[in-house]
Amino acid sequence: MLGFGADLLWADMNRLLAFLFHQGVLDEQFLQLQQLQDEASPNFVSEVLNIYFHESEKLLTNLRGLLMERDYKKMGVHLNQFMGSSSSIGAKRVTNVCVAFRAATLQTNRAGCLRALEMLEHEYCYLKNKLHQLFQIEQQRALVAGVRYPVQNQNQ
Amino acid sequence: MEFVDTRKLQFQPQLQPQQHQHFHVLAVDDSVIDRKLLERLLRGSSCKVTCVDSGDKALKYLGLVDELDDTTSSTSLESSSSSPPPQPLQQEGIKVNLIMTDYCMPGMSGYDLLKRVKGSSWKDVPVVIMSSENVPSRISMCLEEGAEEFLLKPLQLSDLDKLQPYFLKSLDNSCEKESANSSIDSENDDNVVIINNNNNNSISKRKVMSPEPHHERSRPKMKELAVV
Repeated sequence: MLGFGADLLWADMNRLLAFLFHQGVLDEQFLQLQQLQDEASPNFVSEVLNIYFHESEKLLTNLRGLLMERDYKKMGVHLNQFMGSSSSIGAKRVTNVCVAFRAATLQTNRAGCLRALEMLEHEYCYLKNKLHQLFQIEQQRALVAGVRYPVQNQNQ
Repeated sequence: MEFVDTRKLQFQPQLQPQQHQHFHVLAVDDSVIDRKLLERLLRGSSCKVTCVDSGDKALKYLGLVDELDDTTSSTSLESSSSSPPPQPLQQEGIKVNLIMTDYCMPGMSGYDLLKRVKGSSWKDVPVVIMSSENVPSRISMCLEEGAEEFLLKPLQLSDLDKLQPYFLKSLDNSCEKESANSSIDSENDDNVVIINNNNNNSISKRKVMSPEPHHERSRPKMKELAVV
């Protein structure tokens, strides 16, 4: 029974991942991250993602402030950083919005920047929610898989 | 972060027990995430990695800051020959086998760092430039200034294959330098130039001819690998 549950969760996780890839939310760089997780770095993915979330939220807050101040140059600098880290974790849609946003700053297009910032916040939130969902499934799966073995021993 | 791995020793059977046998990479990147990724990638190749977050800190680590404080970069060559540079830390026990630096950094760029390194006593250390943008003119500029490789970010495990020659060559260098013969060193340098030119020409030509849009980047990289 419990083994069956773990398999279902594994299928859920893969379904969510496939969906995110299909939607272009994530790209193959995310797979690369997963491949770097091993016994020596068992929490590699969550560590990297936590750094990413922390950094991104600061960047977004700063961007909003800079837009109010109309500091397009500094916004460009922040966007370069945001683009770099998003690309490094495989957050494709977020990276693409950063590219468009940066173009708007180069044109000092305030309305365009405002739209881009809203889109960026939306995409980032969506990404964060989906990644948390992914982690929840993974944690449930680990729990279920962990419980399975003692039960099997008792049956024997 | 230092990952000491005894498996590394199997690559260096001839080395006498010495303080720093591990291949030591100095990684320079202002992004926390990219530093973490680089550390993890290199740890998988049994390298010792020292991370710094700026070109200035890299120069400080290499002991190059003091001698160049009063000079412009154009006279750096003169200054390094007129006043003896701080002895490449081999005597102090620090050895750097490879420098990997991001191109775009606040303050000193990776290109500026490359120029400073190549104009110093560390000029024989291979320098690899990393960038998230595939700009052919930037790539040529770095290769012309002496960078051994130009890698596109985000880095992947497959990119480490391009670095393998440097891991192995450096071990040869260490073995031969043990016999302390400068003519052997220059011979090695010649070999390095030949190997690097082959690699650089083939890689840079491919990149120059096919600048890909950002999101398409990873596919052309696969093709490059297939040809190599």
